[in-house]
Amino acid sequence: MQLEYFHMIDRIVDLKVDEKTIVVEALVPKESTVFEGHFPGYPLMPGVLLIESMAQASGFLLLGVLKFERMPILAAVKEAKVRGSVFPGELMTLEASLSHEGSGYAMTEAKIRVGGKLRANSALTFTLIPFPNADMRGYMTKVAERVGFPQQAVSP
Amino acid sequence: MSSTFDQVATIIAETCDIPRDTITPDSHAIDDLGIDSLDFLDIAFAIDKQFGIKLPLEKWTQEVNDGKATTEQYFVLKNLCARIDELVAAKGAGA
Repeated sequence: MQLEYFHMIDRIVDLKVDEKTIVVEALVPKESTVFEGHFPGYPLMPGVLLIESMAQASGFLLLGVLKFERMPILAAVKEAKVRGSVFPGELMTLEASLSHEGSGYAMTEAKIRVGGKLRANSALTFTLIPFPNADMRGYMTKVAERVGFPQQAVSP
Repeated sequence: MSSTFDQVATIIAETCDIPRDTITPDSHAIDDLGIDSLDFLDIAFAIDKQFGIKLPLEKWTQEVNDGKATTEQYFVLKNLCARIDELVAAKGAGA
């Protein structure tokens, strides 16, 4: 995880396109400028970054389901609960499932667990847009390779 | 069983917090009711679920953008309900 670059996800553990589910891992760094302000003497992951992590896990799921033909963009956070803090150095396991695939949009439900215990969950809505340009498509392909996205799902 | 319009009007009223009695078959979802594209996703989601269909929003939007259709054809509620009935009928015929 590189917080400053919004690289929230480290590794795809399991992507089941047919079942429309994904499991990913994200190791929270022990040190980051983010933690210098949030908070001095008591560093913890900001709630918005937990939501972003769940959005990115959902995003990889949608990229797989859509065979990399559309780019999911977060449009709405329907519900988000931070049930417990996540601290530097902790390994987050994120699960996401596709709850509805509409025309040009999709909805997911996502969870974050640490050590098997639920720390956060959310219901998210995405718009599904054509990749706006080749640069973004290429960048997302590289990101997918970095996190171990199954190659067969990357190819259109 | 309530009509398609009654069901859609109820969905819109509950989703967008619009008084039910202000929603008529001639209401334009965007121009009259002030529903924006993000709120319309919630409405589409509820309609998809309730009627077991998939509103082809992308196709409709593309047709409007290309000048091949007007927003009235899809977003005036009586027209929207007619499209829903067509989709439900097509789904039944294909089942």
